[in-house]
Amino acid sequence: MELGLLAVGAGLAIGLAALATGYAQARIGSAGIGALAEKPELTGRVILLIAIPETLVILGFAVAAMIILLLGG
Amino acid sequence: MLVPMTKVHVIGHRRRLEPTVQALHRLSSIQLIDVSDDASVTMPPLAADDDQIHEIEEFRYLRARLDALLALTPERPSEDATEVDLSDLRAELESVAPEVEELAQSYEELKAELDTLPRHVQSLRRLLPLVPELTGLDGYDTAAVILDARHASALGTLNAALDELLSGNFEIISGQVDTDTVGAVVVTPRKAAAEVQALLGRQQVNRVRLPHQFESVPFRDAINMMERRLVELPVEMATVQDRITAIIRGHGQWVTARDQLVERLNQLAAIHHLGATPHTFVLSGWVPAPELENVRRQVAAVGGGEVIVELAPISDSDEPPILMENRAIAQPFEALVSLLSVPRYGSLDPTALMMVFMPLFFGMMLGDIMYGLILLVAAVIVRRRFAIRAPSAAELSKVFVLGAGWTIAWGVVYGEFLGDLGHRWFGLTPIWINREEAIKPLLLFSVVVGAAHIILGLLLGLWAASRRHDRKGLSTSLGSLLALIGLFLIVGVSVGQLPSGFMTPAVATVVVGTVLMMALEGPMGLITGPLEVMGLIGNVLSYLRIAAIGIASVYLARVANELGSLGPIWIGVIVAALFHALNLALGVFSPTVQALRLHYVEFFGKFYEGGGTAFVPFGAVERKD
Repeated sequence: MELGLLAVGAGLAIGLAALATGYAQARIGSAGIGALAEKPELTGRVILLIAIPETLVILGFAVAAMIILLLGG
Repeated sequence: MLVPMTKVHVIGHRRRLEPTVQALHRLSSIQLIDVSDDASVTMPPLAADDDQIHEIEEFRYLRARLDALLALTPERPSEDATEVDLSDLRAELESVAPEVEELAQSYEELKAELDTLPRHVQSLRRLLPLVPELTGLDGYDTAAVILDARHASALGTLNAALDELLSGNFEIISGQVDTDTVGAVVVTPRKAAAEVQALLGRQQVNRVRLPHQFESVPFRDAINMMERRLVELPVEMATVQDRITAIIRGHGQWVTARDQLVERLNQLAAIHHLGATPHTFVLSGWVPAPELENVRRQVAAVGGGEVIVELAPISDSDEPPILMENRAIAQPFEALVSLLSVPRYGSLDPTALMMVFMPLFFGMMLGDIMYGLILLVAAVIVRRRFAIRAPSAAELSKVFVLGAGWTIAWGVVYGEFLGDLGHRWFGLTPIWINREEAIKPLLLFSVVVGAAHIILGLLLGLWAASRRHDRKGLSTSLGSLLALIGLFLIVGVSVGQLPSGFMTPAVATVVVGTVLMMALEGPMGLITGPLEVMGLIGNVLSYLRIAAIGIASVYLARVANELGSLGPIWIGVIVAALFHALNLALGVFSPTVQALRLHYVEFFGKFYEGGGTAFVPFGAVERKD
């Protein structure tokens, strides 16, 4: 039972973080593509901006990994 | 490395202007500065004289004409190397161009016909069942109309209107041609053609208009004629295209002439950048320091002792252009650095560092012997194939050659060959980490790599800040460095790897570091300091993606192998190959983007200064296009 709850917790940790990243990337991505249509030289900057929210899902991954590895034994 | 720039003034007698500009253009190692933007030049800008203005207009016209002609054929005529007399070019173009333009126009007409005919055939085919036989209607016109089934009532209105006009001397044959279209054929006396035309135009119906040569032909014959025409058209078009190509191919000198025109226009454009008095001119520009001697020599050769190259002082308001110079192996990474932003003059060129770390991270993420080999072969093929056609793709493939090398190396470390297939087939074992099982050490390892990379970035930031005497930058970099080290010590103590006596100095280091980060920020520092410490932790944890993406790729490879071992062997091989191909595609794209991101955000953020402008020499560059 407890193991099951840990697994659900880990899943929530990464899943919700992934949703948040996806939401942020969707908004930045659409704005970025709009900017690229007018200024193609911004490519690098746009990739960078799109990549920034990925930290969220990586942190979610870190928490999920900690739940499983440290608490799940 | 960023090449040091020198600012020069080329000063000389007006009669030496032309040969000097030509020599510099050929040399293509100076970037001109507009004298009106250069405070160190006090001469007024040189205005082009009437002859030059006329020449510029003439050359622009000729270039536009040549571009239009050369664009008519996909293959470029082989270049005729001999110099072309530009003064004869206009006469030549005027005698040849009309013929080519006429051919081009007839080609366009044929193409338009080819595009529209299939639609007419389709419309007529749909109407054909309505009029099985309509022969023997001399003195009558037929008009076909098509309308949406929902608006079929419009036919009633049309009927009434025609009845009023022709008092019954007409026929409408209508019917459903498919589920949502109704077609109708209207037969009317030819002598009332004009009135009928006008009436049909006013009604809410869509008249099928045929090209004039099919207008008075029975539908079935028209369809046959159109289908024959559809077969003939491509042949006719090819003939016309061949004639155009033959004419243009016969004029190889046009390509040379175009290049000459572009070159000459560039030289003439340079005149606007110069300063001049009635007898002297001055040309201001940036020259890469290693090229300076060469420029001096060439100018002396054409100047006849009347032109000198003088070093000008670089003022604070000057922004020297950026020319990156790296070893051949690092050159493709210059483009990746510039993708973010061209470095600022006098800052650090991170190209060489990127060459070391980016393929390394890429390999750490993908880490598979077979994937590495496939990628290596693909990269080498791209490099060979596209060397001429797409030089930038060929250049980028060098990045992947290095990435593939590291992928193979890490594949050996992780003991992976198409995932766990190497282990299943020939008992391949990892040298160090098995990514499928030893997740904890893998995560720890990627955090340590991240910390090392960020500490390197901070050290570079420290060095860069001290070089430009930037106290704020210095204290931020130093503070971040101390805070990071302190945080690692705290983690070390809390997981029992370090004696507990380290705790007090560790906390003290973090506090000192944070205070240093806050110190020069003013009152805002109280908020930004702690935020930056959080940011640092985030930066280091961000390197967990190296482990995360790696694990995802291993499991996908394993899924491929598991699926492949189900069912008959040949299906298994196909399924496994498909999954591995998918994994490889993902496994190339995502580590590339992630490795780039780790550089742009986490690493460059610590020291990189962008915002420079690339060095664009005055000269042969524009010739290519």
